[in-house]
Amino acid sequence: MENWTGRERTQLDAILDQLIPANRDRNIPAAGELGIADFLTAEANQNSDLCAAVSALLAKAAKLEGGTSPDVVRQLEAALPREFKKLLIATYKGYYSRPDMRACFGVGEHPVHPEGYGVPPEPPEVIAELTAPVRARGPFYRDPAR
Amino acid sequence: MANEPVDVLIIGAGASGAAIAWSLLETRMRILCLEQGAHLSDQDFPSRREDYELARYAEFSCDPNVRQLKQDYPINSQDSCITPVNWNGVGGSTINFLGHWPRMKPSDFRTRTLDGVGEDWPVDYHTLAPFYDINDQNTGVSGLGGNPGYPEYTPPLPPIPIGKLGQTLAKGFNEMGWHWWPSDVSILSQDRDGRQKCVNAGTCDLGCAAGAKGGTNFTYWPMLESAGVELRTECRVREIQVDENTGFAKGVLYHGPDGQLHEQKAELVVVACNGVGTPRLLLNSSSKLFPDGLANRSGMVGKNLMFHPLTGVVGVFDEPMKGHEGPMACSILSQEFYESDPSRGFVRGYGLHSGRSTTPMTYALGGYGIDNPIPWGAEHREIMDNVYPYLAGLTVVSEDLPEEHNRVTLDPELTDSDGIPAPKITYRLGENTRKMLKHGEERATELLLAAGARRILGKSDDKVWWRAGWHQMGTCRMGDNPETSVVNGWGRSHDVKNLFIVDGSIFVTAGAVNPTSTIQALALYIGDSIKTNIETLFD
Repeated sequence: MENWTGRERTQLDAILDQLIPANRDRNIPAAGELGIADFLTAEANQNSDLCAAVSALLAKAAKLEGGTSPDVVRQLEAALPREFKKLLIATYKGYYSRPDMRACFGVGEHPVHPEGYGVPPEPPEVIAELTAPVRARGPFYRDPAR
Repeated sequence: MANEPVDVLIIGAGASGAAIAWSLLETRMRILCLEQGAHLSDQDFPSRREDYELARYAEFSCDPNVRQLKQDYPINSQDSCITPVNWNGVGGSTINFLGHWPRMKPSDFRTRTLDGVGEDWPVDYHTLAPFYDINDQNTGVSGLGGNPGYPEYTPPLPPIPIGKLGQTLAKGFNEMGWHWWPSDVSILSQDRDGRQKCVNAGTCDLGCAAGAKGGTNFTYWPMLESAGVELRTECRVREIQVDENTGFAKGVLYHGPDGQLHEQKAELVVVACNGVGTPRLLLNSSSKLFPDGLANRSGMVGKNLMFHPLTGVVGVFDEPMKGHEGPMACSILSQEFYESDPSRGFVRGYGLHSGRSTTPMTYALGGYGIDNPIPWGAEHREIMDNVYPYLAGLTVVSEDLPEEHNRVTLDPELTDSDGIPAPKITYRLGENTRKMLKHGEERATELLLAAGARRILGKSDDKVWWRAGWHQMGTCRMGDNPETSVVNGWGRSHDVKNLFIVDGSIFVTAGAVNPTSTIQALALYIGDSIKTNIETLFD
């Protein structure tokens, strides 16, 4: 179920683009253009607090002048801090739960089980060399029984 | 509704309940375990889903107040700077713990004698050492022998990789001339007993679908169930009942999966519900004989609650640290500042733990166990692109001292879904702990710079981590004096001779290490003591 009108949805996309902006050099999209509003809609259908928070922010945004610039978003944050934090958290969840976005930061797109990551064990001689200065200090604890 | 009586009734299928059940197997007594949660099936592990990180903030949160699953009980933490975290189900909190497995050190058992704080334990390191060894074998512990920070022992499996992040920090420790060592972990570095070795998924808190992490759902319970121990799940104990004539525990009343109240009689009752759940159950089991709560003639049930208050320092390095690859909490551990040194201005000490870093969503939301999202806008872009991949950090894990005002009581209004009063936590940081954490932050900063960090990320406040309440200790402590302790030196209630407590609540002091290996070693020791004293057990 869509919670917001077409105009509100456009405004929401613009706000989301400010929360997580794009990095054009690395082809990383902003949150609005990635469609995170769809995630928020689905979440809001399960979570009336989030729905109310986003609706309140959109109502406030409609009264502010200046489009959806960073300054306007900062005004929203100052005016409705509790609601803004709910939106911010939900936006981060929606954006970074996308496997393709995880991959932009060096983290695998795949579910971590069963594949995991290949981390080779250090050869014993490497560990022996690294720990040598620690071993050289000798016993390093208090033992009241000794 | 009554059931056939059993010889041993264990309440809780987590770390300690499973370990003592294993110890008592050879007695051939009829053993029953009641567990308020269920067995997790393979498809329940979120790490098999593409959006696995979302589970961390919902049904697989470490915080029962966030999860709010049927088997969870709410915890009122409004009067605490730390909230307890846990898991309720077969395996208990070993389902979502991080598998870090350091032992307590010899001095931890003698803090009164050595440092004039806390109390001495009625057992010592060397008494527990054989039980640590047995438990390490049963669990499948990986690590490197020869750590000069301990009396000699060797974990059964070679260490897991410390990775680029661990190697980088290790060089920093060597540069400073400080102690460090690859972490002991209850995570398999090799396939063992049908369990798959660690695949470095980095999401230990979401349960280990591979079975590499030593949750008792993968270690003890398969052995126990095949040996005939009965495990009754989705059964929440309401109260332990006492025979008014003998003063002995006669069994329990519990809510079954059918929603009905059932009675279960037993010759011997073992409580294994952790440092919050155990005092809650005892306080909820008041009677004419024990008007202030079962086994509470000392008045100590629920008092002396200890956590391990945590803080952390993070450095930004020049190269990607790949911190999401490998077990979350376990790479290397420094105990350079573990023992008391009067020149530092506090007693006892802390560990510097190098975990790894985390996945993008969790980092953006403030870090594991923290609800403080990073900035939005251009600053967000900068942090995620140019900071997040390059992070390595150290966690300062401090020793909490026992203080009576830190406690678990019953909330007068809050209840679980069966109407059983919920626990209330009253806890504040001691001054000694504050000084320790500050000292630790300063040393961690020095270390990260020595390891090559180009920048240290500042911390905006002096708060400890809110969801740092993994380690719940001290609320039913051991001791030889019935006036100042709840159980004796082998876990038997001073007041009720057939009632035993085996979880972290019996700790006398906290040490500054993750407690699960000690909890299980103690449970094995108590099981062994029961067998040794079987002829005179109830005298």
